[in-house]
Amino acid sequence: MKVSLKWLSDYTAVPADLKAFCDKLDLTGTGVEGVETLGEAFDGVVVGQVLTCEPHPDSDHMHVVTVNVGAEEPVQIVCGAPNIAADIKVPVATVGAVLPGDFKIKKSKLRGVVSLGMCCSQRELGLGSDHSGIWILPDEPPVGTPIADIIGSGDTVLDLEITPNRPDCLSMVGMAREVGAMYQQPVHYPLADDVAKLADCTAGEDVAATVSVEIPEAVRCPRYTARVIDNVKVGPSPDWLAERVSAAGGRPINNVVDVTNYILYLYGQPLHAFDYDTLKAEDGSVSVVVRAAEDGEKLTTLDGEERELTSDMTVIATPQRAVALAGVMGGLDTEVTEGTTTVLLESATFEHGRTSRTSRNLGLISEASMRYERRVDDNLCEVVSQAAAALLAEVSGGTVRPGVVDVYPLPTEAAPLPFRIPRFNAMMGAEIPAEFVHDILVRLGCAVSASENEDALQVLPPTFRPDLEREIDLYEEVLRLWGMDRIEPTLPGGRKRVGTRTDEQQTRRLVNDTLRASGMNETMTYSFAEPGDIERLRLPAEGLGQAVELLNPLNADQSVMRQSIIPGLLRSVAYNQSRGVKNIQLYEIGTVFFAAEGRKKAKERQRLAGVLAGAMDEAAWNRPAVPFDFFDGKGVLENLARELALPKVRFRALTAEEAPQLQPGRAAEMMANGAVMGWVGEIHPLVAEAFGAQAPIVAFELDLDALVRAAQPARPYVDVPTFPAVTVDQAFVVGEDVSHEKMMQVMTSAGGKLLESVALFDVYRDDERVGVGKKSLAYSLTYRAADRTLTSEEVEKAHGKLVTKVEKATGAEVRG
Amino acid sequence: MAITEELAALEAETLAAIEAADTTSALEDVRVRVLGKAGTLTGYLRSMGSVPKEERAAVGKAVNEARVAVEEALAARKAVLEGAELAAAIDAAAVDVTLPGRSQQMGTRHLINGIIDEVSDIFMGLGYKVYEGSEIETDYYNFTALNAPADHPSRSMQDTFYVHDLSGDAARVRGESDVLLRTQTSGVQVHVMEDQELPIYMIAPGKVYRRDVADPSHLPQFHQIEGLVIDKGITFGDLKGTLDYFCKQVFGPERKTRFRAHYFPFTEPSAEADVSCGICHGEGCRMCKGTGWLEILGCGMVDPNVLSMSGIDPEEYSGFAFGIGVERIACLKYNVPDLRMLLEGDMRFLRQF
Repeated sequence: MKVSLKWLSDYTAVPADLKAFCDKLDLTGTGVEGVETLGEAFDGVVVGQVLTCEPHPDSDHMHVVTVNVGAEEPVQIVCGAPNIAADIKVPVATVGAVLPGDFKIKKSKLRGVVSLGMCCSQRELGLGSDHSGIWILPDEPPVGTPIADIIGSGDTVLDLEITPNRPDCLSMVGMAREVGAMYQQPVHYPLADDVAKLADCTAGEDVAATVSVEIPEAVRCPRYTARVIDNVKVGPSPDWLAERVSAAGGRPINNVVDVTNYILYLYGQPLHAFDYDTLKAEDGSVSVVVRAAEDGEKLTTLDGEERELTSDMTVIATPQRAVALAGVMGGLDTEVTEGTTTVLLESATFEHGRTSRTSRNLGLISEASMRYERRVDDNLCEVVSQAAAALLAEVSGGTVRPGVVDVYPLPTEAAPLPFRIPRFNAMMGAEIPAEFVHDILVRLGCAVSASENEDALQVLPPTFRPDLEREIDLYEEVLRLWGMDRIEPTLPGGRKRVGTRTDEQQTRRLVNDTLRASGMNETMTYSFAEPGDIERLRLPAEGLGQAVELLNPLNADQSVMRQSIIPGLLRSVAYNQSRGVKNIQLYEIGTVFFAAEGRKKAKERQRLAGVLAGAMDEAAWNRPAVPFDFFDGKGVLENLARELALPKVRFRALTAEEAPQLQPGRAAEMMANGAVMGWVGEIHPLVAEAFGAQAPIVAFELDLDALVRAAQPARPYVDVPTFPAVTVDQAFVVGEDVSHEKMMQVMTSAGGKLLESVALFDVYRDDERVGVGKKSLAYSLTYRAADRTLTSEEVEKAHGKLVTKVEKATGAEVRG
Repeated sequence: MAITEELAALEAETLAAIEAADTTSALEDVRVRVLGKAGTLTGYLRSMGSVPKEERAAVGKAVNEARVAVEEALAARKAVLEGAELAAAIDAAAVDVTLPGRSQQMGTRHLINGIIDEVSDIFMGLGYKVYEGSEIETDYYNFTALNAPADHPSRSMQDTFYVHDLSGDAARVRGESDVLLRTQTSGVQVHVMEDQELPIYMIAPGKVYRRDVADPSHLPQFHQIEGLVIDKGITFGDLKGTLDYFCKQVFGPERKTRFRAHYFPFTEPSAEADVSCGICHGEGCRMCKGTGWLEILGCGMVDPNVLSMSGIDPEEYSGFAFGIGVERIACLKYNVPDLRMLLEGDMRFLRQF
């Protein structure tokens, strides 16, 4: 909402200190989004007297003029306007001036003739739409006078953010009321004076003689008024009117349209002017019906677009056809044109919800729809129509037919509200005096009376404030105008509160700590995905449901919600690699989404995913760079298993069919206590390529919810050993098909109570020394008894038994 | 030559040899030569039996004295040599302490989650619990239960991503739906009010979505931390005091806050809170667009309609709610110049925090 301070000051005093005024507006709830000082735009534009005017030697429409601009020498200007002539006064933008649109005036040559400035039209000065020629000024102002002095600029226009609850502030009188309340100062409302002018321009037959209005469905249109203005001469508006329309951010069009816009800006009541003759039936009468549109009905609106309507929308219609889209925009073929002589003036209210839907369904937002969806006061529509008709007659030389057609099926009535002052103060934590409360409510337009209870006021809010529905709404009004900064800050005193984390939050915190301690860097990627990401990743679709589709995505490659975090991470790998960053360790904890037919809300799961590419670090002087492989990913998961105390963790090799996203032979499933946690492996080189990333990339994706369920936060104490251990190193040669896991199973079961731990310290392959298709696994076995020092005989016996069992169970041979 | 003279000569010779030994191993050689099993002095001790009886005492004394003298000299020399050798070894082991150490890389927390942790800790210290909610919400929890019913103009304050509704329900406006990506974490409030016992002191950090094209200052997905307090006797002053404490904890004790009246459908009265600009300290600069203040959050007293809809009596209980923009803190506190960096996964960015 643009508010001209010059205009505003017609109704209430505007503080001289602009900064303080803007701050006060901000603090009381009217955000100041911009301040435009109009005078500035016209620096360097002065009144000039055209001395000579000769045709341009090299052009058939331009002229070369000399102009006295009050400087020592006249300046030469090349001018293309048809109405330029000697002995007239015109606005001259001299070299260095900046016109609206950041148009800088420079010394230039036009077809070989030097030009030192520009003679301006009104439009070039941002003053109106008249671009038919140079703006010829009256003779009075002396040469050299700044143009700002003539058009009375130096005005400041504030661009205000009006919150959706304040339709009343979308008008100059509403803002005047607001400013009056902010400073507790008087406001002069112009409506009575404007209406008083109507009597002098009323003439002709009563409007009801030829015009009828019908509203079959009251809820769509609580009130519709129509007036008729005859003998209208459509033409440019007087300067004051065009200026005000411009100051409010509108574009002056013609006197009739400008009046409707001016009244809209002044009182907040949208109006529509129809060309009366286009509505007439054959007998000369006009029947207006405010009805539901028919599904598929067509209407070409003022902007030239043909709109297809639905029955949810409301139209203004004659018995033959729809002529306007109620509350949103008029129709093209009934608009006021230069030839219009009679105007039917609509001042009405339409249902807010429907207006909002209509506007959204058509993607059409107008000054009218913006106000209707916030609610327009039906109590004011008729009286504002009087003011508008009077002004329309005044500026167009017309006359207003007596009377009005006013169909008012659903009047809004205000309901009284209590205002319990002690409760108000208790809730605000303040001591705001009753007198202040009373004064502010009255200034805002409420009728305030004392009630039986002396602590409570009886308040009747005005109908132009649909947001004041409850007592609390009144509290807000008083608080914001008292000043929120005057309330003492305190802390709540509640006794029954404790700050805790849930088990799940604790576990997630532990997961994050562990991932970080494992050298992984947390990242975030988009929750949006590209359709086909799952196929690109070759992830088996089983168990993933459908992708959640957005109805209004920003772009096609973000039109569904992700079902896996891995595609986003692979794109981040590609992003880093393409920028020369080779060592990448990323993880993300985030939501994945699975939709299903018939289900409203998709399923959401929390996932933990990670990618590793390159190495942990560059080679250093004391440390080589070890390229990441499968075991780095697995190591991270083993750290997690340890920190979360996951029970019975095992990694099962995944086949190419089970995990097509991974390189066969380097793919595993992580399980805890028999439940699947997720997978880890090296991304298939072709999958990496599909995401623009360079293999090898180690990745894992775990179900965080499954991890949380399996986690055992409290670990029991185990005695620290007091007796010495005996460690025996033992190498076994086994076939390639014997897994480490199998060896561990056999050794743990064969070692009995005395075998404390087994650690694999070497894997060795050599066709000659070990044999083809075989490998040597070297283990360090630790034997210990909890209650005594083991003798060498005991250890030898236990170890011998273990070796025999391993040989038997796995076909292993002992390697010397 | 008398034995005693021989002994004196041996002692003198040995002491000289000890003095001449320049390494511990040379010294050990001397010791073995004199005091070892076949050592020269040991030989005298062994041969005491062949010394005439009357001389035995004198010789024995002399041998002993010689042995003590040699042993003392050996010990003294050994200490000197060992000290020198240790010093030499230490000298040789000196390193350039400015060389980088040996370490395992530590990972990093994402800036946004780091801020969420920091804020959560502040509010947990004030006795708040942390709740989470789903990212796909129904229209009811995202809007209606927050006092923004269908076609309410406040809904246009946020541009919503709508989700294909697979339940078969149809929306009244083309392109809209009953299911959406939550535009605010405020919906978690409603779930908590419905499900938890009073009083409520909670925050709900989480991801939210709005249909803004990604640019340096906008992202279509970002994070909010919603706060809600419902208890008996909660005042607007409590709201101010709580958020003032929060701002000082996050931005520093010298920062000020101010509250501007505003409008949100689910709070009444509503306000936006600003923190004083840390660059110009309120004078006005480019960072704060000349105002001296930086907008940081929206807040207000919980609207009685919202309480009633969740079955809480607004005459008995009151409360306040607030919503903090996490990315906003990232910009203001860490000067992140382009929000898109938060989602690119650039290692060089992530490892700064």
